[in-house]
Amino acid sequence: MIPGNKDTRDGIIFSLPFLVVYLAFMIYPLLSGLYISFFKWDILSTASFVGLDNYRTLFSDEKFYSSLWHTLQFVLMTTPTLLIAGFVMALAITGTSPWKGIMENVFFFPYIFSMTVVSTLWAWLMQKDWGIFNQVLITIGQNPVSWLTNEKLAMWSVALTTLWWTAGFNMVLFGAGIKQIPKEIYESASIDGATYLQRVRHITIPLVSSTTVLCLILQIIASFNVFGQVYVMTGGGPHGTTRVLVQYIYETGFKFFKMGYSAAMSYILFLIILVVSILQYTLLGRKEDA
Amino acid sequence: MNRFTFSKKQVLIRCVELLFILIWVFPLLWMLITSLKVEEEVITRTFSFWPANPTLENYIKAFTSTYIVNWMGNSFIVSLMAMLITLVIDAPIAYAFAKIRFKGRNILFWAVMGGMMVPFQVLIVPLYLQFNSFGLINTLAAAYLPRIALPIGIFILKQFYEGIPSDLEEAAFIDGASRYRIFARIILPLGQSAMATVIILSFINAWNDFLWPLIVINDTIKYTITVGIANFQGTHGTQYSLIMAGAAVASIPQIFFYIFFRKKIIAGIATSGMKG
Amino acid sequence: MKKQILLVALVAILASGMLFAQGAAETKAEGPIEITFWSLFTGGDGEFFDAMVKEFNASQSAIVMKNDMVKFDNYYTKLTTALAAKTAPDVVVVHQGNLLNYVPSGSLLALDSYVDATTLADFQQAPLDACRFDGKLYSLPFDVHPIVMYYNKDLMAKAGITKVPQSAQEFIEASQKVKQVTGKWGMAIDNTTGVYKAYTLARLFMSMLAQQGGSLLNADATAPAFNNAYGEAALKWLQDLVHVYKVNPTELDYDAAMNTFKLGEAAFYFNGVWATGTLEKTAGLNFGAAPLPAIMGGEAAWAGSHTLAIPVQKNQDPKRVEAAMTFIKWMTSHGEMWAKAGHIPTRKSVAQKSEMKALPYRADYAAAAAFALPTPRTAAWEEIYGTLSDKLEFAVTKNQNPKAALADMEQTVKNIIASY
Repeated sequence: MIPGNKDTRDGIIFSLPFLVVYLAFMIYPLLSGLYISFFKWDILSTASFVGLDNYRTLFSDEKFYSSLWHTLQFVLMTTPTLLIAGFVMALAITGTSPWKGIMENVFFFPYIFSMTVVSTLWAWLMQKDWGIFNQVLITIGQNPVSWLTNEKLAMWSVALTTLWWTAGFNMVLFGAGIKQIPKEIYESASIDGATYLQRVRHITIPLVSSTTVLCLILQIIASFNVFGQVYVMTGGGPHGTTRVLVQYIYETGFKFFKMGYSAAMSYILFLIILVVSILQYTLLGRKEDA
Repeated sequence: MNRFTFSKKQVLIRCVELLFILIWVFPLLWMLITSLKVEEEVITRTFSFWPANPTLENYIKAFTSTYIVNWMGNSFIVSLMAMLITLVIDAPIAYAFAKIRFKGRNILFWAVMGGMMVPFQVLIVPLYLQFNSFGLINTLAAAYLPRIALPIGIFILKQFYEGIPSDLEEAAFIDGASRYRIFARIILPLGQSAMATVIILSFINAWNDFLWPLIVINDTIKYTITVGIANFQGTHGTQYSLIMAGAAVASIPQIFFYIFFRKKIIAGIATSGMKG
Repeated sequence: MKKQILLVALVAILASGMLFAQGAAETKAEGPIEITFWSLFTGGDGEFFDAMVKEFNASQSAIVMKNDMVKFDNYYTKLTTALAAKTAPDVVVVHQGNLLNYVPSGSLLALDSYVDATTLADFQQAPLDACRFDGKLYSLPFDVHPIVMYYNKDLMAKAGITKVPQSAQEFIEASQKVKQVTGKWGMAIDNTTGVYKAYTLARLFMSMLAQQGGSLLNADATAPAFNNAYGEAALKWLQDLVHVYKVNPTELDYDAAMNTFKLGEAAFYFNGVWATGTLEKTAGLNFGAAPLPAIMGGEAAWAGSHTLAIPVQKNQDPKRVEAAMTFIKWMTSHGEMWAKAGHIPTRKSVAQKSEMKALPYRADYAAAAAFALPTPRTAAWEEIYGTLSDKLEFAVTKNQNPKAALADMEQTVKNIIASY
């Protein structure tokens, strides 16, 4: 660190380009949005001030709660599975398999595809009458599965798609973490008679904990903000059972034109994510520093 | 053990690996197969795996009856610009957070990181009105400008810069170099792998963006590819073979990108996960 | 290093040049006026509409119309944000049911002073009146598209059905026969969300209510009016087809329903007239079309109507307005071209044209326009329509107790209306 009383000046100058952009495209709209949440406004007519009414409505809106619950379902479905999948994949690609190079490529590849391509593709795979998943099932004498039209399965199907799409990203993060672990630790454990699974449990997992925390935080934030793939694959159906909060926010604002209400809901979502992230960081982040 | 005798366990593991490799590859393979079929073969009661008469007509239709080429070009421009500008504004502030002790640094850092948690929906309406007052609606610039503030990029770079030993800077400082020189001549070159990560993340982020370009771009010819493909599905309804062809075409640039930058992409993401 | 920076900077400058280009249409001193249009017509509809625009452009040299297609699902989002920012194009399509969202805020131009009496008289009365608010005309109807019935002639012949069913009971019996004899589905009414919601259920529900003399909402659209015997009868019929008589598949989405009928897997199919174009092109499908039968005894059918309107601009250029009106008049008077997509044109003169009379199927259901149900006039319509579709989807696929279902729907609709 170069000391000097020019620090503050330098600090500000270096931060300025980003801050200008940040202020213009994040802070200003954020505050503006908060302002809008206190109004009833359909974007075309003049807005009318309603104070905290939008927030009050929100708390008694059954659709808000169900949408929030659907988002939570997605978070709970994807977070552990994507973390575990990424970790297992990372084990495979840092192990001794002759195919680890192929696996690394194959598992990561889907990540570069765009959301609409992935969603459209999987919606086609899972199409109830003519999609190949069910065609295969029919051929082996089973009944077709309602992947996207049965409310018990629909969200899982979207979660499965998300797994195929993004687990590779977690794999790379974990892979890097694993590669950092010195080989000697494993060797001495082997000499002591530890099995592969024991080595993984007692060496690998603890030593990648910082990666795990990072992955966890990123994964949760992303899952709370899910919208695109659910919307494209199920349209929020069947009968609204996969409608996530972001979809509700989008529809309320841009289909029903209740701008103020939409803004209020997005602020509540923001608060939830904020609280969850802070909790995560304080509970988990601290632990690994100790 | 002889190289050519494999234990049962090894065979089993290889089988499992092979299975997963095939499972992972299959969806993309199916996308290609479907795109080469005539629509009658796709929606039919008699299922067939391979196309009976493979045809390129869907690809021809995709290229001639839609703006798919324009869409890809637009996405390129938008993503490229987003990536360049992000790098230009993220690196200096990351350096400031990592190496310059200035008043209010911590608070500012958390304020910036907080931006990651803001759901984009909160910003859509005010942003739209803002861009409109500048007359920027329906321009490609509007598509990427709100996306260039990428806090995760700052985080990644900061992590990396913190890991650079201070001795380097101190030595240069003693030699009379100004902070800017140190930043440009020492820090930036050293941080190339981290910058590669930021570049890639911002490129992919901008490329995948759906909701915002949808709202802010009006002319179909100016759509980005993500919006265009979604539009494609709506406009061609149940023509799955056509939609798959469109999706395949839309993915070509990314496939090339991956083939050429694969090592950098993976290395970049890996670096971001490591501490210092 | 320096050279690289220079190169990057150069590329960036060039790219930004392209980025900030709006490509806006500039009115040249001489030469044709360029006007713009946003279309929500997708698929088959889109192709026919584009063909009409092409012909319009070719038929005269004073105006050039640039047509831009938006996916139906996102159309109104784009339109509303553009209207708010006053960057909307010269002519827009607005469903009659959505007009109420735009008229009170003064986003659409009142057209009375731009249309002469002769042209006005050429329009069918009902669709035209639907475009009037407070006595002023805000758009001109381009078509009426009711929900109609399509039936598979081959399946009917195989099952020995000689008369196309009309009443609820006749449908049940005919469908059962089809299933028994041919093993195929009797009906293909979509009842689950796929790319689109299960709107067909809502449309049939509304139609059947009206057929019994009831209605979805009360007269001034301020309260629900379907939680009664009429609603129960309608809902029960839809449910029983799936669960009791098992002649309609469950978890059938809009696209799958269309495909099922196209493949000859179902005898009776309900959808809007826009399906005619696609069905016509299906090889080997021997089908007929008819107005929605009086399932519940009376004649009424949900109908949408595409109308053409002129948005209010910041600086309204009278020349462009005139050009826009010319376009609208031309398009409506050439309705026989639009009828190729299956829709019913709105101008009396078009109905007389020989090309119109020669089109198959359309003549069969043109009469349906007379029984078209208007969309309730409330700003809450979009939300009510979508939510009801979801609730009906649940009620039909899960065979929910009709009384409970209707009570729940009634309360939901009440809440929605109260929030506007």
